Amino acid sequence: MPELLESTRAALILLISLDPDLWEIIGVSFRVSLTAMVLAIPPALLIALALARLAFPGRWLLISLANTMMAVPTVVVGLMLFMLLSRSGPLGEWRLLFTQPAMVIGQWFLAIPLLIAMLHAALQGIDQRAWETARLHGAGRVAALWRLLGEARFGVMAAIVASFGRIIAEVGSAVMVGGNIEHFTRNITTAIALETLKGEYAQGIALGLVLLVLALILNLMLGILRGRGQQTLSS
Amino acid sequence: MLEINRLSHGFSATPLWTIDHLHWSGRDMVHLLGDNGSGKTTLLRILAGLDAPRQGNVRWRLERQWQRPPCPARVIYLHQMPYMFDVSVFDNLRLAARWYGLGRRDSLMRVRSMLHWCGLEQQARQRARSLSGGERLRLALARAWLLQPRVLLLDEPTANLDAQAIADVDGLVADLVRAGCAVILSAHHASVLTERCQRRWQLCDGLLWESTTNAPFTAERLLR
Repeated sequence: MPELLESTRAALILLISLDPDLWEIIGVSFRVSLTAMVLAIPPALLIALALARLAFPGRWLLISLANTMMAVPTVVVGLMLFMLLSRSGPLGEWRLLFTQPAMVIGQWFLAIPLLIAMLHAALQGIDQRAWETARLHGAGRVAALWRLLGEARFGVMAAIVASFGRIIAEVGSAVMVGGNIEHFTRNITTAIALETLKGEYAQGIALGLVLLVLALILNLMLGILRGRGQQTLSS
Repeated sequence: MLEINRLSHGFSATPLWTIDHLHWSGRDMVHLLGDNGSGKTTLLRILAGLDAPRQGNVRWRLERQWQRPPCPARVIYLHQMPYMFDVSVFDNLRLAARWYGLGRRDSLMRVRSMLHWCGLEQQARQRARSLSGGERLRLALARAWLLQPRVLLLDEPTANLDAQAIADVDGLVADLVRAGCAVILSAHHASVLTERCQRRWQLCDGLLWESTTNAPFTAERLLR
């Protein structure tokens, strides 16, 4: 118990004193996850819009696929990517294994299914009259689609927040394709998982606290967005 | 203004209704009648181009040329419960102005004059979805009239409105008709608004019957 208290005190000191190593790790996590989100949102939006607005063969298969992909363990995504990117793998030429871009790709694959499923749910819930009203009032297809996104904005933001929460807290893919290389690919979760084993409790607790605070903020945001979304739907 | 040829539509093997030929000059305001399920909404939606008919064609002549619906901003259909975008009253109008291609200054002027016209100046910053049924319909009329359409198709505009709200809406519709907008409205119950109509179209037994309202209602079957 005294050891835990001592480690927690050391962790708080690390955080408050803006320890460069610690904040570098936090920086890697945010850089990788934010990049993955920026790259995942546009295609996910397009796919979700198509799934919600167009009737085409295989539509339900795609929706089921996205829902199934949400349940795939992060370490399995990491394993697949590891096999693809390793020297002997089909994409070994790219020399991406154990780099931040590899971590971005892994998190992109983790974010996409959740984004598609949640965005699809948000966009499918929009009243058909919204599209019809916009189009009859002179909105072009793009302007009308933009309006639909505006109508579903709380659902869209909830999808983004939930997906970001998932990928910044994942460890399986990051450790397999990132490799936890100090000053390069070491992020919050890989540092907690691997450095703690070497007795670096203070750093682990400090990083855990950052994730906890982040989880709290994201959940508060989700709660607010869900509340607003329901308010919107009920009126 | 409107020409319908061999139009039929339905959701089962038997057509809901069939209209062999119809010509409407747009000068008379039309009251579309029919029992529940007779296909009034379906007909209005086809006229607006929101649904494609199973057979036949609809053409509008709004400028020089005939064109098939939809005719955005020229032929506007208002749903029985008009859709309010989840923004303020002011922004509901501004969205339409933007889609119409008005510049910032023109758009502002037009939005303000529409707010004044429909009597919702005080509610301009309020969320459109918090408006009452009558206010929503007034806003929907203003949002449509902002684009100065040639034709307005009103689907059961007076359903669920009290007498005062109907009177308010009637005043606005009267303004539109005076300004040259052609109006077709469907309504179950007689009201000041339906009394304003000079022509009746009645969907009955799968056919559209027409009569003028200044003569006793002697239904005349359309060509078949």
